[in-house]
Amino acid sequence: MCLKELRESLRDRRTVMTLILMPILVYPLLSMALQRLLIGSATSKQEEIYIIGIDDEKKQSRVDALLTEGQNLLNAGTISPIPPIEFLKKASVSGDLVKLGSSKEEKNENDQSSFDPRKFRLKWIEKPNLTFAVEQGLIDVAFTKLDLNVVSLRRGKTQSFDVEMQFRQGDARGESAAMMLRRMCQLINDQQYEALRQNIDSNFSPAVEMKTIGIGSSVDPTASIAAVIPLVLILMTITGAVYPAIDLTAGERERGTMEAMIATPAPRFALLLSKYIAVVTVAILTALANLSATWVTLSFGGLGQALLGPRGFSLWTLIQILPILVIFAAFFSSILLALCSFAKSFKEAQAYLIPVMLLSLAPGLVTLMPNVEFTTLYAVIPLLNVLLLSRDIMSGTPELVPSVVAVVTTIFYGAASLVVASNLFGSANSAMGSQATWSDLIRRPTKATASPDVGIFALYLAMLFPVLFVVSNLGTSITKDASLLMGLNAVALFVLFFALPMLWLMYHRVSLSNTFLITDGSEAGLSPSKRIARVACMFLAVLLLASSVWIYAVEGLLLFQSWSIAAQFPDLEKLKKDFMSIPFPWILLTQAIAPAVAEEFFFRGFALSAMKTKMNTVRAVTLTALLFGLFHVITGNVLSPEKFVPTFLLGIVLGATASLTRTIWPGIVLHFSHNALVLWFSRLEKDQLTRWFGESEHIPAIWIVAGGGIIIVGFALLFLASRLKPNT
Amino acid sequence: MIHANQLVKKFSIRGESLIAVNEVSFQVSKGEVYGLLGPNGAGKTTTLRMVMGLLEPDSGWVSIDGKVTSNDSMEHRKMLGLISTNDGVYPWLSVREMLMYFADLYAVDLALAKVRIEELAKLLDMESILDQRCSTLSTGQKQRVTCARGLMHDPPVMLLDEPTRGLDVVGSQTIFRFIELLKERGKAILLSTHRLDEAERVCDRFGLLHHGHMQYEGTLVDLQNATGQTHLTDMFIQLIQSPANA
Repeated sequence: MCLKELRESLRDRRTVMTLILMPILVYPLLSMALQRLLIGSATSKQEEIYIIGIDDEKKQSRVDALLTEGQNLLNAGTISPIPPIEFLKKASVSGDLVKLGSSKEEKNENDQSSFDPRKFRLKWIEKPNLTFAVEQGLIDVAFTKLDLNVVSLRRGKTQSFDVEMQFRQGDARGESAAMMLRRMCQLINDQQYEALRQNIDSNFSPAVEMKTIGIGSSVDPTASIAAVIPLVLILMTITGAVYPAIDLTAGERERGTMEAMIATPAPRFALLLSKYIAVVTVAILTALANLSATWVTLSFGGLGQALLGPRGFSLWTLIQILPILVIFAAFFSSILLALCSFAKSFKEAQAYLIPVMLLSLAPGLVTLMPNVEFTTLYAVIPLLNVLLLSRDIMSGTPELVPSVVAVVTTIFYGAASLVVASNLFGSANSAMGSQATWSDLIRRPTKATASPDVGIFALYLAMLFPVLFVVSNLGTSITKDASLLMGLNAVALFVLFFALPMLWLMYHRVSLSNTFLITDGSEAGLSPSKRIARVACMFLAVLLLASSVWIYAVEGLLLFQSWSIAAQFPDLEKLKKDFMSIPFPWILLTQAIAPAVAEEFFFRGFALSAMKTKMNTVRAVTLTALLFGLFHVITGNVLSPEKFVPTFLLGIVLGATASLTRTIWPGIVLHFSHNALVLWFSRLEKDQLTRWFGESEHIPAIWIVAGGGIIIVGFALLFLASRLKPNT
Repeated sequence: MIHANQLVKKFSIRGESLIAVNEVSFQVSKGEVYGLLGPNGAGKTTTLRMVMGLLEPDSGWVSIDGKVTSNDSMEHRKMLGLISTNDGVYPWLSVREMLMYFADLYAVDLALAKVRIEELAKLLDMESILDQRCSTLSTGQKQRVTCARGLMHDPPVMLLDEPTRGLDVVGSQTIFRFIELLKERGKAILLSTHRLDEAERVCDRFGLLHHGHMQYEGTLVDLQNATGQTHLTDMFIQLIQSPANA
């Protein structure tokens, strides 16, 4: 089976073009173009003049002396005939100052400086703006301190420069200027030491004591290049896998070979696996071709060290990156197959894949940003983890824990996607075409239906996302008052997740009571005693679940803080202060009651009812929990991925509750109780927590284990309540 | 050999429920060619797919050689061979490679598969194209390859869905000979077609479908007696225009 898939893929000219021609032609061309650019920039670099900022007239003569002496030493490469003490004497002479923006800014014949003006130029900056001038790039370095001090020695005294110099980190000019000046000062000091050695002067003190301060963020100038190369490799790997993935799935349908294949007794998973192996093989071959072409281009084209620094792009780096690309190829191939299995034609498959390809660019852009560290949190985010790991390998700075987490999670995601693909592949739902058009989703139907269609829900969800984004950001622009903001958000939540969906469903003539599980139809026919028993079981179950589920949410919060993720949010302390000043009843209303009602109606009512029309209850509950978790990740204009797992698990509990009880009300009570308890816990001070938990920053393990047991008992009661049937 | 009992299949289109097959029942014996006939949209292909196990009926069942298909769909698929004009070929594979692939899917022994390919090539006049890429085949050649594919595992039951569609007279003759051959080999053949004139030629019994309902079932003689018409086309038109179907 695999042989047939491989033959189909590798004999296709289009696969061969992507696999072979692209790497062997494109990379050398890119290399030549880049070389041309670098030569151009190097030429212009030779004529660079470094601008030194000073804010004090006294400093000018001192800088003058320092630069002259230093440059002479640099140029000569030997000890200057002028003893250091003479150089220091010269430094005390004052001279003319050139102000920034003045007519004398350009060097002219009247300039009394004796250092080489082709290398350095002085600029006067108003106090106290020297640092600002460096930050803004108006000057390359600044002498924020340049004092001529008298130093007491064992025998007598001597003078010494006490220098503080600032430059902008990550700026090539600034770093280059600072390095040159440091070198000059070191040469001056070396001259001093040599004089001492030759017993010219027994007074010993460094002529220049220099402190260098790098301001701004520390950015490895090669970091962005180190991140671009993995991004290119990843994108090329994706490109290699796309065509065979489409051809072996949607292409089979288009060619009319799918039905004959599915009609055979071969297990569907085996059929899919053979296609998967073919796609992965082509993807890996593409990755290998591109990686090899990159290595050859960078190593033999001379660009390796120019772009990546002294380490270049070694064979060892290639060997380290290759398995990462292989794992990524395996992962992304399964994603592609899962998507393409759903498509009925080449065109449809491409329509599904284009958004995925665009989404794949987003993590790539993140890796190009400065100061993005490869943390354990990022290690679980698909695609981003592989890019950051590859970037760190190329920079020579990979860390063990995030690397292992990235590899393991990527393998896991690939396996999960393969399972999804095997369910979709060749299914009847995919085999038969959907006859619906876009107008069907908008046109008001003539007949009423009991449950909403998935398309109606999906359309509402698609419209909801941008509206939610705008509304949540609008709130922060209207007011900074936390209390008012909470109120506005609660109103928005109610409107977007309850009121508008209700109107949308009414327009589509969908039964509201059935969709939102308002009334419990399963009670019909139950005897009074059974009804009481059912209500009692449900009540007790909700009580037990409410008393235990919050433990996991709070532990999630504590983990968040202990992983120092909170350190990335410096406003957290301020947020907590604002939070504590708001009356608790208002917090309950806006953060517990409103979300409980609105979100239950939307997720466990609208979403779950729609999903159940297309899939079994377990899948429907899981999918709505996934949506619920993702919804909580998006807060305002910030993504909060740490919220996903706790809210996803809560979504499972709430979905299961709604499904077992066949009514929405227990879930609303549970959701409210959970939120209320978490909010109350968040307001506790550290000393109160210490009384309960001791010195540990986490909930005691016994609480977590007991909580798990209580949850199980709670669900057992719900299950019992659901099994109560009318007497026949 | 094939027993379909009260098959029902509904589809949801634009929120409306469409009954494609409505309580259709029939039986096909060994060595018999049963024609499932009707115009386009009558429900023939849907019925065939349910027999094949590609579609789950909403109600009713199908049994092959006494075994209900829903119980063990993989086993029953080994007993079925499907030939459809919708079937395509793999453009980058040779005819031999494609047939070997399907032999693998049907778990046919490698040595036996090679022998069978040679036999079928001779039977269907494909010897000259065995090592040719499928993308270079003509329509008639593709149809012969599809027929060979359906027979690779030598199933006792053959399902033929519009086998002569798109073929010229010569190509159609090949298919008729093929059907005769299958019949001689004792296979139960379920033929779905809207070409009533062709069906009249090869089928032993007929089931006439219209709007998902089985309008009439029987031999040509039975139909002639019931309608007083000579040709199948006239019989069918009379049946669908009868007051019961108005």
